[in-house]
Formats: sequence, structure tokens, C-alpha cells
Amino acid sequence: MKKQTLILGNGPCAVAVAENLLTVGSKIIIATKDDVGGFIGYADSEDLQILTETRLVSCQGSVGNFRIEATQNNKSVTIDAGRIIIAEEDQRTSNFSRYGLKASSNVIPLSRMKILLNDTSPEESVLSEIKKVIFLTGIVKESTPVIANEVMESSLLLQKEFNIQTYILTKNLKVAGDGLESLYRETKNAGTIYIKFTDSLPGIYQEEDTIRIEFVDEITSRNFRLTPDMTVVDETIVASPYLTDLTKIFHIEADADGFVQADNVHRYPVLTNRKGIMVTGPSRGILTDDDQRIDAENAALAVTGLAEEEMETKLEKAEIHSEKCIQCLNCYHLCPHHAITLNERVEVEPDACEGCGICTANCLGGAIRIKNLNLQAILHQIKTGDVAQAEQTFTPLLVAFCCSRSAVQARELALCMGHELPLGLKVIQVPCAGAISYDHIFAVLKNGADGIMLLTCHKGNCHSERGNIFAGQVVKLIKGIFSIIGFEKERLSIQTLASNMGTEFSWITNRFEKTIAALGPSRLMKNQWPENQRRPNMKGNTG
Amino acid sequence: MGDKNVLVIGGGTAGLSAAVELANLGVHVELIEKSKFLGGHAIGYTCKAIENTCVKCGACMVEEKLQSAVFHPNINVLAASQVQNISQNNRFSANIRQESLVIDPEKCTNCGLCLNRCPMEGAILQGFSKNNHPFYAVNIKKCLYFKDRSCTICRDECPETAIDLDKKASEHTIEADAVLIAIGFQPFNPKDKPYGYGRFNNVVTGLDLERMLKQSGRVKKPSDNKLPQKIAFIQCVGSRDAKLNHLWCSKVCCGSALRMARLIKERQPKTEIAFFYMDVQTFGKDFEPFYREAQKDIRMIRAIPGDIYEMDDRRLKINFVNNSTHETKEEIVDLVVLSVGITPVEDIGTMSRIFKIGPDESGFLRTDHNGVFTAGTVQGPMSIPETIANSGSVAWKIKKYIDGLTIDD
Repeated sequence: MKKQTLILGNGPCAVAVAENLLTVGSKIIIATKDDVGGFIGYADSEDLQILTETRLVSCQGSVGNFRIEATQNNKSVTIDAGRIIIAEEDQRTSNFSRYGLKASSNVIPLSRMKILLNDTSPEESVLSEIKKVIFLTGIVKESTPVIANEVMESSLLLQKEFNIQTYILTKNLKVAGDGLESLYRETKNAGTIYIKFTDSLPGIYQEEDTIRIEFVDEITSRNFRLTPDMTVVDETIVASPYLTDLTKIFHIEADADGFVQADNVHRYPVLTNRKGIMVTGPSRGILTDDDQRIDAENAALAVTGLAEEEMETKLEKAEIHSEKCIQCLNCYHLCPHHAITLNERVEVEPDACEGCGICTANCLGGAIRIKNLNLQAILHQIKTGDVAQAEQTFTPLLVAFCCSRSAVQARELALCMGHELPLGLKVIQVPCAGAISYDHIFAVLKNGADGIMLLTCHKGNCHSERGNIFAGQVVKLIKGIFSIIGFEKERLSIQTLASNMGTEFSWITNRFEKTIAALGPSRLMKNQWPENQRRPNMKGNTG
Repeated sequence: MGDKNVLVIGGGTAGLSAAVELANLGVHVELIEKSKFLGGHAIGYTCKAIENTCVKCGACMVEEKLQSAVFHPNINVLAASQVQNISQNNRFSANIRQESLVIDPEKCTNCGLCLNRCPMEGAILQGFSKNNHPFYAVNIKKCLYFKDRSCTICRDECPETAIDLDKKASEHTIEADAVLIAIGFQPFNPKDKPYGYGRFNNVVTGLDLERMLKQSGRVKKPSDNKLPQKIAFIQCVGSRDAKLNHLWCSKVCCGSALRMARLIKERQPKTEIAFFYMDVQTFGKDFEPFYREAQKDIRMIRAIPGDIYEMDDRRLKINFVNNSTHETKEEIVDLVVLSVGITPVEDIGTMSRIFKIGPDESGFLRTDHNGVFTAGTVQGPMSIPETIANSGSVAWKIKKYIDGLTIDD
């Protein structure tokens, strides 16, 4: 039985998500912290329910079975949902302070100008008195195509409908959007004058009701002074503060600007670090109306797609052996997918678990198991004798723990491309380098490895968000231990790769082989080998 | 479920992404690709991570989509294939011609011996991804056997007997409930620009540089395979160009060029880089700090050069007008990278005829009517992440259409 989808928001993007889901017969519930907004005219039905003035408080459960507590006019409500789509509107802040300006009747933000232009009676509009308008955009900080579009459209209307001379002062004109270069040409033809700054900035002076802008024009090298009747200041599009609450409630990642969704290509366009929670349009970044519509469709697709695959998956899942669990809660705090729940016991939500293994590596009780990360199974893959030793040269046994999504793929590409890889290279595929613990590294060393590499994803490209960072921390600590006990710390290395880096995979592994060959065989091994089988210790010989 | 069939024309980022989404919904997809390798232009793009940090170019996403597509049980791939004609009578019926693949994918082990032994440069082509299988293909335009039957070395030496030079082209008929046109873009050909592309060896395009970096990890001068000391990037070649009537920004070149420039600075720190531009476009969420760092290492010059000459020592002299002084200035470099724009692909003409839909005023193609859809850069410039989002949205529209949920106006 398919559960309803919860949509958060009341703007055009939320409406687009709802429309798409209703078309395919999905049941939806809309919760907005404000009024009905764009859902005006929608009536509650069997498939649709709208909760206004409703703010979320908490969320339990996982994909397919979310239980959300919310408050509506100080009363608590409970919402059950199979999926959640965040579609909250963004907000705008005016950039007056960037230009050293204060708002006044003739210094207005871009949104205000848009309202003035939508005025139904141009003759009575305050704009009828005006001859000269200046737009300031992207001068101190870079702008976006969304804002550039609004500036140019406003300017065009002022030129054409109001016969007002317009100036657009900017640094880099952001035309990387559909139709914006044409619009730029159109505004120029209509009479808008563009003044672009590269290294210099204009002097902007506000005295009572007059604005004076002075600058050296970069094209003509002449000094100019402009005294506009009205100055329009651009705006910065920012994330809704409500999103901060939602990231905490849902345990989802946000970017540096507070938009929900970590800046990670694997989440594009609408996914989050939690299965079953999607984020669209103005909740995930600064997007055009068209891109918001595209997001709404992708969210609908993700809801339907998840329903189709319904819990069927081949992934190895984490299992907690409760008799060993000491309730340190590392798993709960570190799971990037929030797949660990706390009831009477600590449990894994199998539907939400992505099998990255970060929990196993950090479990103090050794209570969490994932089949393919079993230490014995891994050690079984490493046998010192596997590396054939030539008479005079030393071929080091190099064990590379490789992320299945990046380094494993990169190695296969390297082989396709015909790159030579170290003879003694053993690749151990792991779901995420974050699954590698001290146990793995020391056991592999003990089992005969001369050098160990963790080959993981680049920062910001990890499917498990921070698995690569955790791996880096493990490596750093073990290297610290090596320094204390006087073991060569060069024998352990962490490097980042992407799936399409075949050439770089061969560079990294061959360079490591050189380093280890120069160090000679691991001392840990010397005493374990019978005299007649001992490998040649050709210190400095790279073979 | 499972009884609906969609024909996807084009196996680049858009075609692959849409195919995977449809296939995940239980729709059967026939994916045809004109070239011998799937992945489109973008499968040749390099990872541009610097300081061990992803810069969100999206190149690895194409690799991921390709992997998902080739192993998906609901997707059937025909490489080296083109639509001959299509009739629509409720459903679509398409005649497809598949060029001879020569190398049998069942037998080929990607050992690369054919490439090593081939006496004719360019006759054996190499793929870009491990999911390009076979990783090698015979280019019948260069192969001596196809010219005059004078050489059969690859066939004779292939240890797997995977090469059949006499293999014939084949015809296929595909029935489909909807058609997706995802034939991508044409990189602007800069040969008519006064930059010497095609004449001077050390003038390359941004796409050439992408592939060079993916292949060898370094940038080298094509003339002598040595590292260049000085590189110039020239932006907006074929974009934002009123003379060509190209009234669009290609959206992706600033990101691609600046990311590659920083990658080169990291790997070959002694390289000096100059960057000629009109307006730097915002790319990615972390644009502001990225651009700030870029400006420290890269000399930004706000001008579009007039022309380029090759000097006796093969270095390149770039002439441009300094904005503030109005003087003609010169810049002498070892390698020039032209950031060529995204332009409409020639096959849009064929598609327009077959499906009776006209391109827009810029020449790109956009439709979602009567079971014919477009996705990706055939619609206009898009980055890799934008293409993936666009393709997901189109997959959703196709799904609604084949389920009879779309009301056509």
C-alpha cells in the first residue's frame, strides 16, 4: 500500500510538484507554515489535503514510513507520509549596504521596481515623472542569471513603455540563461546603456534625495557623473530560514548558504542524503522558473521511481548484533543516511541503509556487521605469496582499499586505457572508504602488505557525504601511531580519485610502488618468514 | 507494466539519463547512438577536481549514467546506428541502420593489440570509458582494408578472433510508443575565425583540451608534445556573436575553461595562464570563492582577441585591443585554447524533416508534442547537471504520455 507524499511549501514550485503527483493519481498532503498561497482554489479531497499555518516539529521513521509531528495554530498534528518533498520558497535581501546606500523614495530594491512596472495604469505611476533610472547589479559581489534577467526585463519595459533612459552598471553581466543574450541585445537596441566595471568601481554618493554616481568609463577612459532620478539596487536570493529547522528535523545536509541539499553532484537534481526526502527549486538553490518546473517533475519522478523499486535492492545492509551493542551511539551520529533509529534498542532501518559501512568502522562494541566488509573475507584476498618475487628485485605487496564508486571504476578504466599498474597491487573493493577501520589497516599490515592505500572520492563527491573525510581522519591517526612506534608512515597513504580518472589511478599507484620499493619490505613481515622464503630486501631498488 | 517501448535517439548525457529514468520506471528503452561509443561529447571530459576537492563539473555523472544504462535490463543499446525513417500510426515504427561494428563485443577483451599493430593512424579508435565496450572501434574512413583491402593485420593478429572486417551493416525495425530526440550539440567549428584553428597545431578547442587532460592528465603542445609555458584561453568563440547570429551564451564554457585552467595550474604550476573574456558567467554554488582563487593564479584580460599569428618558433602571437588605452596589444603564448560554443547539431535538420517540427530561431529543437520529445543540448546550451535534470523531467513527461495521462493541446 502506497502512502501519501508530504509536500512542504505553498509557492509555484510546491504547486507544480502537487500537480504532477495528482496527475498520476498519487495521494498528497501539503503542509505550509503560511496561508494557502498558490493552492488557492484547491479543495481537500480523497487525494489532497492542505494544512495551513503548520510548522514541522519532528520526524521519525524512514522512507515509506515517515511520521511527522507538527503544530497547527498551537495544536499538534501528526502526519504519516511515505515520501517528503521540500518546496519552500526562497527569500530576498536588498543589497543597499553593499553600495553604501539607504532605501528612500528614489532608491528602491529590484522587487519594488517590478511591482511599479506591474502597475496597471502607467500614467498615474510614480514612474511617469522619471527620466533617468540606474540599475546597480553584481558590482561588489557577483550576481546570477535570475537577477540579471529581472534587471534587463525591467530596463526594457522602462525604455519601451515609459520612455525612460536606463543605465545598467555591472561587473560581469550574467547572460548564462535561456534567452538572456538576446534580451541583452534587445535592451541595448531599446536604448539601455551598459557600463561594465573590471578593476575599478564606481563612486556612489547619496545626499538627501540625490544620488550621484561617478566613474571612469573603461571603454572611453572618460570621467562620467550620473545623477539618476531613481536608483534600483539588485537583490540577493537567500534560503528561507525555515529550511534551517527542516535540516535539523530531517537530518539532511545543507550547502554553505543554507539551501537544503549538500553541494554534491550525486544528489542532483532533487535528492538528499536521505532516501525518500526530496528537495526542489527554491529550497535547493537559485533557480529560474523553468528550472523550478523541471525540479518539480524530477521530484515527481523520484517519488514514482522509488515506489516502483519499492524496497527491492541488492545492497548489503548493516546489521546490529544487539548483544554486543554498548550503545555508544556512534552509528546513530555518523550514519550519513540517518538509517539508525533509537527505540528500546539501536536498530538499522534496512530500507534507508545504503550499506556504506561507516557505522561498522566506528562501532566501539564491534557489534555492526556488513557482509562484504568482513575482515576475514578481506584478509582472505591478501596472500603475500601472491606477489611473485623476481630474483634480484623487490616487488612490494600494495593493498589498495578502493571506493566502489570511484577508485574501483578508475582502475578498470586504467586497465582499458592500457596503463601498467604495479605488479603487487591488490585492490580491495569497499562500499566507501569511511568503512575502513583501524582493524582493517593493522590486519592487512600484519598479513603481509608492504604498503596500504585508501583510494577514495574527492571531497564533496562522496555518496556518503563524509566517508572520505572519516577515512582521512583514520589515516591521520594511524600515521601518528606509526611515528610514535617508529614505523614508516609512508607505508600508509590516502588519495582521492573520481571514476573517470584512469590515468591518474596509474600515476598514484605507480608512484606509491616507487615509494614503497625504496623503503623495502615491511619490517613487520621479516620475522614471520622462514629464512628460505624471505623476500630480497633491496633497499633503494625500485625494480 | 513493461509493455511500453520508447525509442531514444542519442546516447549522450541526455539520452542516457532519460533512458535510465524510464527504464527504472519499468519502461523498455531502445537506445540508438550514431557513433561507435556511447557517452556523447561529455564522456571525453576530464575530472577537474583540485586540492582533492570536487568542483562540480559533473563529468563523473556521465560515467555513472553510462554505467547504469549499459547494464540496465530494460535498456537495449544499438551503437553505430541511425534512423533511416519513421512512420507514425498511433505507435512509431522506425527503420534503423546499424553500421558494421567490425569488432565483436562478445569476443573482444579490450587488450588493445589492434591499436598497437594498426599501421594507419586514426584507423582504430579508442573509447573514453570502461563502459565503452569494446574499447576499440575500426574507423572505416581511415582503415586500409576499407580503402583497398591492402591490410588485415588487426584481424589476423587479434588473439580472440573478434575482428570481422567483412561484417555487413544491419537493418533493424523498432516499434515505439514515444520517441526522444537527444542528439546533443555541435561544438562550434572555429576554422573560419581568425584564430588559426586547423592551421596552427598549437591552437586547440576546449573539447580538445578536455580529452587531452582525460587521456594523459597533462596539457602538452600538439606540435612537439612538450609542456607549454604559457597558455591563453579565449572565451565566447562562436557564442554571443552577432556576426554569426549566435545570440546565445553557451553557459558551460566559463566553468569548463576556468576549472581546467586551475587544474593545469595545480598540476603544472609553472604554466602561465591568460584568460580572454567578455563577462565571466556564474557556475556552481561555490562560484564566488572559486573565481576569487582563480583570479590569483590566472591573468584575466577583458578583451576578445582580433587574430592570432604563428611565429617562426611556433609560438602564437595574439593581438587584442586594450580597452582603456585603445592600443593594440600582443600576447605571446605556446598554446591557445578556444572555448568553442554549443551550436545546433546538423542532424536537427533530419529530425525536423522526419518529425515535421521546426527548430527555434536559434536553430535548436524543442518539442514535447504527439509522442515526440527532445532532451538535453538539442534544446540549447546546458551544463551536465542541467542536462541530467532536463532529461529527468522529459522522462517524466514521456511516462505520463505513454500512460495516456497527457492531454495534448
